[in-house]
Amino acid sequence: MSGRSLDHTVQVFEFIEESDSLASPQAIIDAMERSFAQFRFENFIMTGLPHPEQKIESLVLLKKWPLGWYERYTRNSYDRHDPVIRLCQRTVQPFEWSEAPFDPEIDSKGKEIMQGAADFGMRQGCCLPIHGLNGFEACLSMGGADLDLTPQTKPAIHLMAMYAFERARLVLAPSPRPNPLTAREREALRWAALGKSAADTGEILGVTERTITAHIGSACLKLSAANKTHAVARALQHRLIEI
Amino acid sequence: MTSIHVITDENKAGYEAILDDCFRLRHEVFVGERGWRDLERPDGRDVDAYDNDQATYLVALDDGRVIGGLRLYPTLLPHMISESFAHLVKGRDVLSGSTILECTRYFIVRERRMGRTDCRLLAAFQQFCLEEGVTEVTAVVEMWWLPRWQQAGFKVRPLGLPTMIEGQHCIAAAIQISEDSLRHVSRLAGLRGSCLVRATAAPALADRVPHVAA
Repeated sequence: MSGRSLDHTVQVFEFIEESDSLASPQAIIDAMERSFAQFRFENFIMTGLPHPEQKIESLVLLKKWPLGWYERYTRNSYDRHDPVIRLCQRTVQPFEWSEAPFDPEIDSKGKEIMQGAADFGMRQGCCLPIHGLNGFEACLSMGGADLDLTPQTKPAIHLMAMYAFERARLVLAPSPRPNPLTAREREALRWAALGKSAADTGEILGVTERTITAHIGSACLKLSAANKTHAVARALQHRLIEI
Repeated sequence: MTSIHVITDENKAGYEAILDDCFRLRHEVFVGERGWRDLERPDGRDVDAYDNDQATYLVALDDGRVIGGLRLYPTLLPHMISESFAHLVKGRDVLSGSTILECTRYFIVRERRMGRTDCRLLAAFQQFCLEEGVTEVTAVVEMWWLPRWQQAGFKVRPLGLPTMIEGQHCIAAAIQISEDSLRHVSRLAGLRGSCLVRATAAPALADRVPHVAA
């Protein structure tokens, strides 16, 4: 292995480590801008792939994309005719825009789109399709005027793009945290929030006061609460219970 | 309902027919579908040097039929990454240790790839590893698997850069074993409890029919 290829490994691993701590879409955009610039990428966009009834604008996760081109692209619903989007839906492999097949003789829209991107400074581009769980389909598309695409750089770009995408997905669509409280603990806290004592609650639920105290105690532990009042406040604040 | 059975050297006598099904399905998937010609064998069974008494199998059974599986192997012994794919690991040594396993031959039969079988098997995988005190699992996978793992809630770190193997971009990676990941993937799998089964033998089913792949 050449020293140069080893250099890329280090850069990619650093990017992946850094990406773990990026907390906002803007932080991700900034980090990507810095890291992908070494391969001379100037623009990039992450988006879900639209179903026939969806608009692509509603699926864009983040972008550093020429504004004029974005407006023209969405206004004309170019995604319906974009050879890059079409290939995305058919492959799991990353590809260069130039590999997305279309016949310029008969596909005038396809030609218009590829020419339009070039007019906005993106003569070259790469696209990474993402085919996830439960039919989740998306892509990260990146462009520039003169990209550094070689057998050495492409694997590095591929891996970086994948982790950049994952970070954006996590930051933008955080999965709801599971409620740490059991059904009984929630019930005990709900009655406490309504002003009932442990003895009252035990009577309502047909269990002993000691059982209720134990539920409240374990809820306190899970919520790092100092006492019952604190636990009720926290559970309400984090919407773990409703009254 | 899918359940995931643990098969080791200790109980494999009770799972003879199931294991044979696994080897046959692996041949169908890896030789037939993916075209890994090196694995082709006249008896239609994919069995290699790591199918020995050190291997642990997690096998997904539905109504007694095999619908998926994977193989775990100790990294302290010569294993696939150390013997065949060390070139995929860059800038550091091949990851090995007493709490690190290697996962190989992951498969789901074709007609079950759309549903939750993947998530069930991945949940059972996290649970088994947690119970066994395993901290990390290494594997060589096609790159397109990474987002699927990540969306399942797995923390995955690459051990090298993507490399072409059999026409696919593949990568050596390590999956972290954690309660968080188990919780996340169990939710996706629609599991309320465990689907991991540790038994001495396969469930006896009078009407067990051989599985026919679509």
